[in-house]
Amino acid sequence: MSNSRLKNLLYDWHIYVVLVVFWIASSFASPFFRTIDTFSTILVSAVPIALVGFGQTFVVLSQGFDLSVGAVASMATAIASVSMHWGIGPAILLTLISAFFIGSLNGLGVSKLNIDSFIMTLGMMFFLTGVNFLIRPSPGGFIPSHYKKAVLYQVASFPLVPFLILLLSAVVGILVLQKRKFGREIYAVGGNPQSAKMSGINVDLVRIKVFIVSALSASLAGLFIAARIGSGNAEAGAPYLFDSFIVVFMGGTLVTGGVGSYRGTIASALIIASIGQILQFLGITIWYHFIVKGVLLAGVAGIQLFIVGRGRA
Amino acid sequence: MNGLRRFQIYSIQPIILIIALIVISTIAGLLTPGFLTFRHIKMVLYCNTMLGILALAQTLVILSGGIDLSIGATYWMTIMLGSLLMAKGDFTIPSIVCIITGAVIGIINGLGISRLKIPHVVMTLAMMIILTGALYVTTGGGGRGRAAPELIRLSTGKISGFPIITLMWILLTILFAIITKLTAFGWKMRALGSNLLACHCSGISIWRVQVLVYMISGTLAAFAGLLYLGWARTPYPTFQSGAGVGANIMLQSIAAVIIGGTLFSGGKGGVERTFLGVLVLSVLFSVLSMAGLGVEWQIMLNGIIILVIVGTYSRAMVSQ
Repeated sequence: MSNSRLKNLLYDWHIYVVLVVFWIASSFASPFFRTIDTFSTILVSAVPIALVGFGQTFVVLSQGFDLSVGAVASMATAIASVSMHWGIGPAILLTLISAFFIGSLNGLGVSKLNIDSFIMTLGMMFFLTGVNFLIRPSPGGFIPSHYKKAVLYQVASFPLVPFLILLLSAVVGILVLQKRKFGREIYAVGGNPQSAKMSGINVDLVRIKVFIVSALSASLAGLFIAARIGSGNAEAGAPYLFDSFIVVFMGGTLVTGGVGSYRGTIASALIIASIGQILQFLGITIWYHFIVKGVLLAGVAGIQLFIVGRGRA
Repeated sequence: MNGLRRFQIYSIQPIILIIALIVISTIAGLLTPGFLTFRHIKMVLYCNTMLGILALAQTLVILSGGIDLSIGATYWMTIMLGSLLMAKGDFTIPSIVCIITGAVIGIINGLGISRLKIPHVVMTLAMMIILTGALYVTTGGGGRGRAAPELIRLSTGKISGFPIITLMWILLTILFAIITKLTAFGWKMRALGSNLLACHCSGISIWRVQVLVYMISGTLAAFAGLLYLGWARTPYPTFQSGAGVGANIMLQSIAAVIIGGTLFSGGKGGVERTFLGVLVLSVLFSVLSMAGLGVEWQIMLNGIIILVIVGTYSRAMVSQ
């Protein structure tokens, strides 16, 4: 009994152990890592990863995949860069409405037409990539400087707004998944869709909502990226597609759905964001971050299997 | 009753694809003289040979109920490795090394999935990212070296006017169609895709089949990489996309499999369907280019075709 409780505790928090060990080791390895500036950079670069991971966690928990998150984030930068001269509010509204529309389409295809989510969102990804290049054939466009300042607002070189975004996403993600009806329904659908249906959960509606959440959070990530790079780019979101899966899987959410949390995702996002920093301080070429990421992903997946035993995954 | 009708739609899907091919080609041929010539069709096939072989490999993996996200990275790995090793002009040993590298990558994938029980998406995603890193670290993102003359002759050569590598693609498709349909290995592979538990209960050595499937996938990806190297002569680093090396061609290969009509959940479908899928995609892209529409329209159409085709027969997937 206590053994299984210990296992659960380990499973829930192991990624934080990895994060703390990684940070301590990095601090010993390089004195530059211990500075507030480094921490700020890590926070800022973790925001888009955590945001795409936010929606991806919801989708993977409900037994699905969303391959369109990268394209949705790119689309947000593209739309923002062509519409921000009408005002920031309308541009953000337009971005969110298009994301809502795309998320609903994904969800409808997956739930009502019974298309496998991998294929549905793969098709959507191709479609959106084409649309993105039509909206923004080459990188550029107009992002007002006060928007950039507001999103990246700093107090004494501490990025307050990015930090608040991370904090807010953590609070919302953890509260919704653990405490709200919608969150419990996601776990039920991901654990066993048939029994969820039998117990009166509207499985189709949960699936649709999950994809809407994913598209909305990906578009928010795109709006943040637009502020960081100061322009629109039809491919700016592409790297975040695979990052979103890495942080979700590393954070302990099972590919088969039903087990996991946003808590793990956000810790993995911080780890992924830290890798680039420490490599830079150690004078190792930045390309190694791919290898570190890949080994960490496979390694952490292995650790999880070791903790829970082979039967569960 | 309804389910039966849907199932029939699924079984006649290759015929629908063939009709679509004929209709598209005829319309394009009427609008643009020169489209329906042997020379142009040969060219379309030739340009899509590498994608065709990758999609063939992906079909085998998907049939067995898995997915290989590292296929594009393996492809680029062999291209870069081959060009580095062939810089002095050797052909035989570098080619063998490349093929073995591909096979070893596949075996590692297969062992991780079957023995360590890492989910296939996680395992092959990790492999893709590790290979991406390895490539950037060793080459710095630029191409070095060049293809051996023998390889160039192979990739650009023709047998009575028909490109050798396209013939190879067709022969490989026939070979693997026979293997998946008629051999015990093929039966086991498809059985794995349709019901893993039943396979386990009937005493099939699941891990051997899985390792073999991923090994074939890696080997074919390496083979396609070599052919591309001979075609391009020097590796032109087109892989510099932020998502990861070979991510684009990997996703394209999955798209071709799905458009061909192999079920994504595994068990049903075949390499001959994928061949048709690649043909439909390539003919449509050729039509779009002739109409003067850019690559963004092609990517968009790619997505629309996937959604339309899968939307029409997706309910057949539930029948399992």
